[in-house]
Amino acid sequence: MRATLRPPRTLKVTGMGRTYLVVTFGVGLGALNTGNNLLYLVLGLLLSVIILSGVLSERCLRDLSVRRVGSEGAFAGEPFAFRWALTRRKGHAFALTLSEVDVPLTGEGGVGYLPAGLEHVVRADLTAPRRGPVKLVGVRVTTTWPLGLFAKTRVFPLPGTLLVYPRRGFACATPEDAATGHVGEAHHPHRLDGTGDLAGLRELAEGEDSRRVHWLKSASAGKLIKVEREREERRTYVLEVRPGLAGEALERRCEEVAEQAHRLLEAGHEVGLELPGQRLRPGAGSGQERLLLRALAWVGFEEQREEAA
Amino acid sequence: MRRPLRLRLVLRDLSTAAAFASMAISSQVPVWALVLFALALIVALTGRRPLARAPRLTALLLLPVAGALYLLVASGRMDLVVAACSFAGIVAAQRLLSESSAATDGQVLLVGLLMIAGGAALSGELVFAMCLLAFAVLASLSLGLAVVEAAVPPGEPVPVRAVMRPLARGTLLAVVGAVLFFVFIPRLNWNMGVRRATPGLGTATSGFSDTVRLGGSGTLKSNPRVVLRARLTPDPVSTEHLSAYWVGRTYDTFDGQEWSTIGAANRRHRTRVTLRPGADKQVYQRIELLPAYGSRTLIALETPAKLGNALTHTPTGDRRTRLQELGGDELRFVDDGLGYSYEVYSLPPGTDTDPGRMNETEMAQLLALPENLDPRVEQLARRVVGDEQDPLAAAQKLSAWLQREYQYTLELSGDLADPLEDFLFVRKAGHCEHFATALTLLLRTLGFEARLATGFFGGERVGDEYIVRAGDAHAWTHVLVPGRGFVTVDATPPAFRANQSLQILESLVSFYEAIEGIWRTSVVDYSFRDQIDFMRGLSRPPRDPSSPERPSGPPARAWWTAGLVALGVYGLVRYLSRRPRRPSMGEATRLVDAVERQLTRAGLPPRDGETLEDVSARFTRDAHPLGPTLAPLTRRYLEARFGQRPLESGERARMLEDLRRALDTWRQGSRSNAP
Repeated sequence: MRATLRPPRTLKVTGMGRTYLVVTFGVGLGALNTGNNLLYLVLGLLLSVIILSGVLSERCLRDLSVRRVGSEGAFAGEPFAFRWALTRRKGHAFALTLSEVDVPLTGEGGVGYLPAGLEHVVRADLTAPRRGPVKLVGVRVTTTWPLGLFAKTRVFPLPGTLLVYPRRGFACATPEDAATGHVGEAHHPHRLDGTGDLAGLRELAEGEDSRRVHWLKSASAGKLIKVEREREERRTYVLEVRPGLAGEALERRCEEVAEQAHRLLEAGHEVGLELPGQRLRPGAGSGQERLLLRALAWVGFEEQREEAA
Repeated sequence: MRRPLRLRLVLRDLSTAAAFASMAISSQVPVWALVLFALALIVALTGRRPLARAPRLTALLLLPVAGALYLLVASGRMDLVVAACSFAGIVAAQRLLSESSAATDGQVLLVGLLMIAGGAALSGELVFAMCLLAFAVLASLSLGLAVVEAAVPPGEPVPVRAVMRPLARGTLLAVVGAVLFFVFIPRLNWNMGVRRATPGLGTATSGFSDTVRLGGSGTLKSNPRVVLRARLTPDPVSTEHLSAYWVGRTYDTFDGQEWSTIGAANRRHRTRVTLRPGADKQVYQRIELLPAYGSRTLIALETPAKLGNALTHTPTGDRRTRLQELGGDELRFVDDGLGYSYEVYSLPPGTDTDPGRMNETEMAQLLALPENLDPRVEQLARRVVGDEQDPLAAAQKLSAWLQREYQYTLELSGDLADPLEDFLFVRKAGHCEHFATALTLLLRTLGFEARLATGFFGGERVGDEYIVRAGDAHAWTHVLVPGRGFVTVDATPPAFRANQSLQILESLVSFYEAIEGIWRTSVVDYSFRDQIDFMRGLSRPPRDPSSPERPSGPPARAWWTAGLVALGVYGLVRYLSRRPRRPSMGEATRLVDAVERQLTRAGLPPRDGETLEDVSARFTRDAHPLGPTLAPLTRRYLEARFGQRPLESGERARMLEDLRRALDTWRQGSRSNAP
């Protein structure tokens, strides 16, 4: 009963609500001073609107459940799309705004009308000020329904972690020289389709490009032999964040490495990462970029990573 | 910046118009303010906001307006409340024409609230209630739409239909709440500050002037507006329509075109005036002259004896006023006001009356004829009356003859040199003033003393009162009968004495008046005493003055009220008890903490990062003896924590006790198995 009567809500008066309260107070004083019944009637209307606002906003925040859908990728210092899934078991809800509680994420999402039984995905453009893991505590759902006089808030405890990638920017320094030798996937059989040095000969498999056939060797061997050559345009780089960096220097290095990795991967190269206490094998493609960014995001927050694991 | 919803802006503008109208109906807002606001509203409704480019400059222009209004107030040429209301209207107009934003919308609606408060201070009309209701509905819808519009992401449509219904329901609840607040908010005063009504539906219509001129048009008879309310004692309960004469004044001098009175005004102003001695079984009247009446002449049932105890209703409240006696038995209020209320004692119909205080000149004037009176008038009178010597019988003969031979019409030919001659010998049709004038002069030509009386005829019962309409204005004849005083004789055909407005119009006005009566009684004049009576009525039986014994025990209505309240409380408790309890996450968390502590004490701590469900799964997988105990506990924890099925009272302690016993058993088993 006590939980029902005193649910954990916070109530704030909006700017218009403050003026409304002042007007209500003035009308009340006028009614008391003059005894004008019409002022009493207006006062009654103003007071009942205040109570009704409380009741309707409470109904709005009832029977709600929130699920965090999350983000595709959050980079520090720029807005990123973040989603929550909002469901109402019964009744309708209006004018809800959602945001994360007690975290340095700015921005909020909104939904005008939420019918019962449907899961509504609310999208927001949030901005994180810095790189690293953000420990999410809960979701704040606020409504100013019905008249915008008061903002009632309910917090849904919903623990979680949002990993914020390093800020995207310009990398001033050029990456170090490409690695040589058997590093990365450059010698993987699937990668030997370039125009560089001879890497070997093998029998042509079914479906492979016949332009790669070495006709002289094929004639001598009596079967189709394929020439394998290295891809000269694809190189392997291993970027490094040296140990001992901290604070702003670490941030700058992480941002620089992230940008270099992005550029190299865009150009089709393979990129690996050497971090304090961690090493990522060179690889290519967007999946590798995501791995690099995740690893860079955790640099300096290793303790939290262990906790989260 | 996205475009605001057009519907919301229209609702906002209309709500502001309703708020302004609540002040404007008092007719006290100056015309320039009315015109400016109306223009601004029209422009705003067309969707144009011409002041959007220079909001600050135009806001600065409001300062000189405020200064001018201040000067008007300071010089006493404008009421402070009226000035404040006018300024609020101008501010609202400026905001209406500015760019729409959240701040602007809020300001518009808050200025609307101030205008509503101003309207409440200026007017007590029923129309104010309608304006208040319209403002509440329109402003709520507009605000609700604004709130939803702000929450909807850009590019997505605003769910107008889904919003309207709950908003309308909420507004209805707010109105019901307002009524409840109104009834139960304790009054700390006695309803002194109420400003009385204005003429309402237009200017006042039925005025009494110093003369009655034959001619003009007959629109007054078709006017259904109520000008007078009267409560009679003894109350003729069963009479729906009174056939009574309500006299205002009499006339003794006719110059051929218009009537006047030679009596001079008495300069003394008195609070109570006795016109003639009273009699047994006098009729007491509590009369209220409504603002539509528009005159200062007192009206009373024929024949009034004593009048007084008068109040004048002014925009700033009620105050006592005195009366001035004029010639022709006319009494006027000394002070101007929007309306008046007073008390009258009249002699019952058929009672012999004193003719009142009349000097010789005035008595002689009762036989005066106009200089150029057509000689055919006297011939006509002699032909109809014959040798009859009794003035009353002669008057009745003439009256019957006029009613038989002449037509009643409101279509008149305008001003004529000799309207009486035109009525008697040419058109042979006229209205009540023609009939009354003809009868009076026909009697005078025969030497019978008579005079013309004006006032109202009729009376329609509404509730406990009788109302008289502007269309009931009437004229008739007083014949002086020796020993009986002035006796009323009415030459107008009976069917045309009362008002002749359209039935449907009359019904509509009656309906409006009935609602306004309820409004006035239940709202405008609702006082602390009414509150006490209301409360007392809920708990105590109504006292029957005819029954000397007090009934024992509370009345049935008290039992009903108590029953309803009990039912409401029971329903509330049932509703609250049926509601699913909020999942108590703290309780579930405490449970899992306690379980982990017990496991740790027993030497079975969860591994790093291992949750309770992981531990339970491991125990089950390893066929650990504690597995069967831990599995249901874990399931219950998950249900309580995430499944909206909170732990019941004492359930946590019970499960922990079961776990403790299982751990004890397991420990004993471990010891006994140890080598």
